[in-house]
Amino acid sequence: MKFTGPILVVDDEPHIRKYVSLILKQMGVTQIFEAGNGEEAVTVYQRDKPRLVLMDVNMPRIDGIQALRRLKEIDPECCVVMLTSLTNRDTVQQALDLGAENYIRKDTPKEEITQALSETFAECFGSEEPPTNP
Amino acid sequence: MMDPSPHSTPLLLTGRKVLIVDDDRLNIRILGGILKSDGYVVSDASSGERALEVYAEVRPDLVLLDVVMPGIDGLETCRRIKRAYGEKSAPVIFITAKSESDDVVEGLLAGGSDYLPKPFKPKEVLARIRTHLQNRAMAEQQALLVTQLSKANASKNRFLGMAAHDLRNPLASIRGLAEFLRDGVAGPMNADQLDLVETIHSASQAMLEMVNELLDVATIESGELKLHVEKQNLSDLVVKSVTLTNMEAVKKSTHVVFEASASPVIATIDKAKMKQVIDNLLSNAVKYSPPGSKVTIIVTEDPANNGCILAVRDQGPGIPDSERDKLFKDFGRLSVQPTGGEKSTGLGLAICRKIVEAHHGTIKAENLPALGCEFRVSLPYPR
Repeated sequence: MKFTGPILVVDDEPHIRKYVSLILKQMGVTQIFEAGNGEEAVTVYQRDKPRLVLMDVNMPRIDGIQALRRLKEIDPECCVVMLTSLTNRDTVQQALDLGAENYIRKDTPKEEITQALSETFAECFGSEEPPTNP
Repeated sequence: MMDPSPHSTPLLLTGRKVLIVDDDRLNIRILGGILKSDGYVVSDASSGERALEVYAEVRPDLVLLDVVMPGIDGLETCRRIKRAYGEKSAPVIFITAKSESDDVVEGLLAGGSDYLPKPFKPKEVLARIRTHLQNRAMAEQQALLVTQLSKANASKNRFLGMAAHDLRNPLASIRGLAEFLRDGVAGPMNADQLDLVETIHSASQAMLEMVNELLDVATIESGELKLHVEKQNLSDLVVKSVTLTNMEAVKKSTHVVFEASASPVIATIDKAKMKQVIDNLLSNAVKYSPPGSKVTIIVTEDPANNGCILAVRDQGPGIPDSERDKLFKDFGRLSVQPTGGEKSTGLGLAICRKIVEAHHGTIKAENLPALGCEFRVSLPYPR
């Protein structure tokens, strides 16, 4: 399904933000915000109200899990998908328990990330926009 | 840090502690005199019971033990020491009045290391004691070395894991961003530019694979390889790997053929890990077979061993007998080279072996009579 945003991409590594943003743009997302750490993520979330947050797990100071916890406190309905590089089952489970929708491996090929993102869009927003068949 | 040459200095035995146990004070005096003259620290006890107390207190490096004593005798004292301190207990040398073979045999059976016949000859006493103390010192040193080495190895693995982990994200980005450039997302490219970008892409791809393998080794070696086993249709898993491998193999005009068994083979395995093994065996087979070869993969039940077998046959040069041992070891690259200039870290098969062994299976390689080589994975069904 087509989803244009807004999306917030949180990662302490600028190249990952750039890479993920490019993938999102290619998928037709037009509104993308970026944050370099968990603290910034909370600020941007409150200011720009993104519909979806893609968040790294390992970040300095406030990590992805802590940031997820804060976002859920601010807005229990917020839609967060974790970006991981290792399938550390314990961390993933912790994030899912805290209410993250899913997780995406960012070290997999572009096609797989695209696939995972489009599945996420369908899961999170699929029921909102009925297909406009002519 | 570790002493790089543990055997370069002769073992210093001066100051080692010897416990003499004898109900005869004269014997203690004579033996004590001999030992002190050679720099040993001597303590004594006049009964078996007292010996156990003194042992606990001074923790001697060696015990000279009289066999016949009132109360618990030497044999029983020895047994109790061995029971209490196990492998770490000091060697026990029995003192025997006459070199009666019965006493000697019983003493050795009770855990003694040697015997000293009375009357004492100082040179003999010192020589025997020196031998046992030296053995003990050497064993201690070796145990210490093993501990140091395992610690060093563990920290190497931690470092390897951290380095590989930190390299992975940037590499994935480089690869992905190169793909964007190649696909014209940042505007059209001419042939020369495209060639450069392709090079960046394939180099980062190769490096990412290498880093992933290093990470696997680090994970496995640190004992963090956890299997999540489920019942899986092994044939289905193979079909997926074959399709994937054929996409690469076609570049060398090689093709992979799956000879499926009549009925599906169901095994209890970690799907992702076993797929890694299959992928690796297949890509190796393609890598080392000449262009235009046929690679065959077979999955079959193995009723004789209550399990199943997965075998990959290639048409490569086979494995030289002299290099068979290296095949499944870390960085065990052989003299055999990939036929299409592919890269190899020499870690793939080591990882395969560790994954298969974690499944309680075995992996073997045998040269085929005519041409090529067969890699055979045997997996037992759970009891």
